[in-house]
Amino acid sequence: MAVRAKIGCIATLATCLAPSSVAQDGDLFEKRIRPILANRCYPCHGPHAGSRQAGLRLDSLAGMLAGGRSGPAVVPGRAQSSLLIHAINHDTSLQMPPKEKLPLAEVNLLTKWVDEGAVWPNAESLPHRRADQERTGKADFTEEERSHWAFQPVREPAVPQGGRTPIDAFVLRRLAEKRLHPAARADKRTLIRRATFDLHGLPPTPDEVEDFVRDDSESAFERLVDRLLASPRYGERWGRHWLDVARYADSNGMDDNVVHGDAWRYRDYVIQAFNRDKPYDRFVREQLAGDLLTEWGDAGRAEGLIATGFLMLGPKMVGEDDPVKQKLDFADEQLATTSRAFLALTVDCARCHDHKFDPISSMDYYSMLGIFTSTKTVLTYRVTSKLNATALNGAGADRSLSEIERRFDYHDDFVTNYNRATTPAQVVAEQKRAVQEALEDYFRVPKAMAASEGEVEDLPVMIRGSHLTPGAIAPRGFPRILNGSDQVRIGPDRSGRMDLADWLTRPDHPLVSRVMVNRIWKWHLGEGIVRTPSNFGTLGEGPSHPELLDWLARRFIESGWSVKSMHRRIMLSDAYQRSTARNEVAAESDPENRLLWRANRRRLEAEAIRDGLLAVADQLDFAVGGKTLPHRNFTNLNAGAASRDPELYATNRRSVYLPVLRSALYEVFAAFDFASPSTSNGLRSSTLVAPQALFMMNAPLMDEASRGFANRLDRESQGREADRVRRAIRIAYSRPPDAGEVGEWQDFLERYRVASGSSSGAWQAFCRVLLASNEFLYLQ
Amino acid sequence: MQVPAQSRAVSRREALQSMGAGFGSLALAALLAEEASASDPLAVRAPHFAPKAKRVIMLFMFGGPSHIDTFDPKPILQRDSGKPLPFAKPRVISFPRRGGDLIGSPFEFQRHGASGAEVSELFPGIASVVDDLTIIRSMHCTNPRHGGAVLEWHTGSDTFIRPAMGSWLTYGLGSENQNLPGYITICQALAEGGANNFGSAFLPAAYQGTPLGYGNVKAKDAAFPFIGDGKRARLQRLELDRLAEVSRDHLELAGPDDALESRIATFELAFRMQTEAPRVQDISGESEATRRLYGLGDPVTEDFGRQCLMARRFSESGVRFVQCNSNGWDHHFGLEKGLTEMCAKVDAPITGLIKDLKARGLLDETLVIWGGEFGRTPTAENADGRDHNPHGFTMWLAGGGVKPGMTYGQTDEYGYYSVENKVHFHDLHATVLHLLGLDHTKLTYRHAGRDFRLTDVHGEVVRDLIA
Repeated sequence: MAVRAKIGCIATLATCLAPSSVAQDGDLFEKRIRPILANRCYPCHGPHAGSRQAGLRLDSLAGMLAGGRSGPAVVPGRAQSSLLIHAINHDTSLQMPPKEKLPLAEVNLLTKWVDEGAVWPNAESLPHRRADQERTGKADFTEEERSHWAFQPVREPAVPQGGRTPIDAFVLRRLAEKRLHPAARADKRTLIRRATFDLHGLPPTPDEVEDFVRDDSESAFERLVDRLLASPRYGERWGRHWLDVARYADSNGMDDNVVHGDAWRYRDYVIQAFNRDKPYDRFVREQLAGDLLTEWGDAGRAEGLIATGFLMLGPKMVGEDDPVKQKLDFADEQLATTSRAFLALTVDCARCHDHKFDPISSMDYYSMLGIFTSTKTVLTYRVTSKLNATALNGAGADRSLSEIERRFDYHDDFVTNYNRATTPAQVVAEQKRAVQEALEDYFRVPKAMAASEGEVEDLPVMIRGSHLTPGAIAPRGFPRILNGSDQVRIGPDRSGRMDLADWLTRPDHPLVSRVMVNRIWKWHLGEGIVRTPSNFGTLGEGPSHPELLDWLARRFIESGWSVKSMHRRIMLSDAYQRSTARNEVAAESDPENRLLWRANRRRLEAEAIRDGLLAVADQLDFAVGGKTLPHRNFTNLNAGAASRDPELYATNRRSVYLPVLRSALYEVFAAFDFASPSTSNGLRSSTLVAPQALFMMNAPLMDEASRGFANRLDRESQGREADRVRRAIRIAYSRPPDAGEVGEWQDFLERYRVASGSSSGAWQAFCRVLLASNEFLYLQ
Repeated sequence: MQVPAQSRAVSRREALQSMGAGFGSLALAALLAEEASASDPLAVRAPHFAPKAKRVIMLFMFGGPSHIDTFDPKPILQRDSGKPLPFAKPRVISFPRRGGDLIGSPFEFQRHGASGAEVSELFPGIASVVDDLTIIRSMHCTNPRHGGAVLEWHTGSDTFIRPAMGSWLTYGLGSENQNLPGYITICQALAEGGANNFGSAFLPAAYQGTPLGYGNVKAKDAAFPFIGDGKRARLQRLELDRLAEVSRDHLELAGPDDALESRIATFELAFRMQTEAPRVQDISGESEATRRLYGLGDPVTEDFGRQCLMARRFSESGVRFVQCNSNGWDHHFGLEKGLTEMCAKVDAPITGLIKDLKARGLLDETLVIWGGEFGRTPTAENADGRDHNPHGFTMWLAGGGVKPGMTYGQTDEYGYYSVENKVHFHDLHATVLHLLGLDHTKLTYRHAGRDFRLTDVHGEVVRDLIA
């Protein structure tokens, strides 16, 4: 490709600068070139150090070749590879002079001069080009960089004395150091409500609560956890956590909101992976390279293809006119998601310069990026590029799908870009018909939104992140702080995704097990041991219990990367089962509860709010899986108001199955801090804003849920008003009413009946207040 | 609002208990509301330095209005119409297969006002207030496509999802009216970036733009999300009083807890907002003269006129950032007819807005911004249209501390590239923040391990524009 041709030129720079080429066109230089440089450039890039910008001097050839912060300014003989020429053409983000574009004649002169070898009469002896290392990376790491906690091998710490479980032993030791006492175990009603919302995202039924309360055997809670883990509701809850990390969405949502018509298969794959306790190392491998795993049978092949949806789901600026930039941007998004999800590192910060805070160089970035640019995720890089798909029914079906895709892509390109003035209407009609025919064929094939191997390449380091200024080649590989400077080359026969998956799932990888264990901990307890679950770099927070983190990571691998075993381990600890009771001494000494002296009170997430409302109203539809967004691939939901069509959400299916449309998120999700589906998320915020209160007061969902709840009470308790109130409180809050509480509600019902003249209205209002209350919305 | 994990030293519960029994829920709510305002994300915050403007009204012309046919006349282009462009086109252009030769403007230009600024016949009304405008003819941005350029204008980035300028402003300054959202966008299209254009991205949700209707809705039918119709207000009051009681009982058992307390307060705020927002939105109390001024009553100007009038009312009530949206400026073909129609829809309303703000003494403290995501090429597309042109185009400002009656910067003699006193979106963003008293390099938010700002690493305040 073109980019690589340019590299060749830089590598032969020394030849371009052979002394014989110097001092011929001295006249041209002195009369035409130097005056331009002096007038236009010297004020900021001249001899005066005080006013010099970006460390760049343009008053000598040496200065131009040495370059400044953005790299060398000229490549003699190659104007199109010279930053200076791009800058004066104002065709990249670096535009010089910044406020006034040079007259065209001057631009042309400088371009010609560079193309003809940038001859500078009497130039001093030619400088050596700076070593690539110097410009693009940190070959050697400082002791401080190397010793960052997250890069150390996972240790096997000794479990301290004391504590009911090893987790408690680690936690109690830290509490004892601060002379703090943990809160007592939460009462059983609190515990079952906490565990059920935690593992299912739903409230327990009154019967489940009473059964658990009556069971006073020692293993009651353990059996509860096992029951919850065995239910398909579990994967719908925990799969959704992973979908946050995978920035799952059913539409593109950048400029064109193009439908991801087959994304649901990936969503269902994730839910099933959790339900079946798929080993996490396997889960990682499938998402990065499921299409390449050889140990599949036919059914497994489909699963592996679907898993690579992970790479495909990102938001893409499809209206990008520059195909090379488009390719790099798409791959950048995949790299960012991959490195944050599995490594909890922001490798993508090194796109334009070495990472400012972590020991990750631009060379590392482009080494890793090459793996993704060597992977096929779109048909062709062009404006309104189309996502790649793979047929699910075997290789033969896939070859035929590829043929259909080529046909579609060709005609679609024509229809998008033809000239209305010169193209005969008949030709346009034919092309449009060809698009339709291709689409009909296309939609007949069951397919996955899947990655496959693409054109393999090693990328150059793009100086300042611009593909117009390529630098040294970055062989595909992994960050050197983690994998050493001397890496085995990834051959030209493959993208390197399999190598990446292998590397990540090595049992001695310092990050992958720690990162996942920390995520699981965070989703259970509200805060991670590391509170920045997607950033284990130097700007992230250090672990509150480093030894516990390592001990858990070891157990995770030892258990065969079993996520369900980790749930059991965590939930059976006292640390998980504490009450939220406040203790003034501890609150003073550890106000953020880093040492886990009590349980964190948490607001329900958007999905648990909606599912909880529907569950209480007894309206939840527990159908499992399948396509729920009616639109198909290539539809742009931005046309008209399709993305705001309330019909899309007119279902009582669980929230995990509702369409996730980027840039037009379902209003209930948007109101309650659903993770932005545009980037990988390890944390959700929990904001408190007035529109949430307006939602509780006026939203149709609240109206339906409170009416449904009132109807349910009507059905289930024929008896006295007081009984109905008692039943409602048990359903909504998982507890019996307190003394006086029933009477207060009866007073309210009476007040409301008098004011409204409606008994059913009063019951609905009663239900609405229960559902809008803090007790319903916050887990103790 | 991110609720701080730390609890206050003296709990609300203790304070309330000390006030004895019989303490009414309304009083409780009032106390909590006052208390919450200390950490209220929309509480008014001091700017970095004395501001020139307090509020912004953005008039967004979605699609890319042609500068060559409105504010940037090009005699040489008229002369050379039909000839090829005598210099290279940009490296990347949107529709290379449709491109043609130079095509002159079908519209006449005249000088207007004391400033003598040139405006085409398409904008007779705006021409009459041209001495109040600061016309920037040297705008440029990076992305030649709607999606990228619209996002670039609204958020400063065409590559990633970032907070919108209105979000940054409310984050930096808070809102002057606690009963209204701080950032409102009226009937904005959901195309090309959609809600990302008024989203808060990683900033807290309190700073996201509140949509008053979307692009497919008429201004007269636009409604805020989840606002009740007011008919249930009396019964809703009963519910909220009971909710406050229940919440207080729960808090006594569970608390003290900042989040639980703050949530109680949000219901009172919501109740006030529900009364206030429809009242401000309702233009029925405006005089006939005012309605005529904005072009209400004429079906052509009715819709955008109503947007502009609502914008004035919101702005007057202290909303920090209001955006009016006109859709349909993407004239790839049939430019003469299409542009004439679009200009007719907005000319009178915009003129009315400027005059009305001025008459009410609001123009000095309100920054009005007009423009689209890019301009158009001097070369033809599809014979009678113009292609996207991010390399040179016009936007204008009015009021809010900018120099009135000024025309700033130049495009080349054909109007393709911005060549003199170039102003990038980043520069204009920096300037808008500056006019509101904020230093764009200091208004930062830490996210994913680094400090972000509206202008990323770019942007320079255009001091020449500032009065």
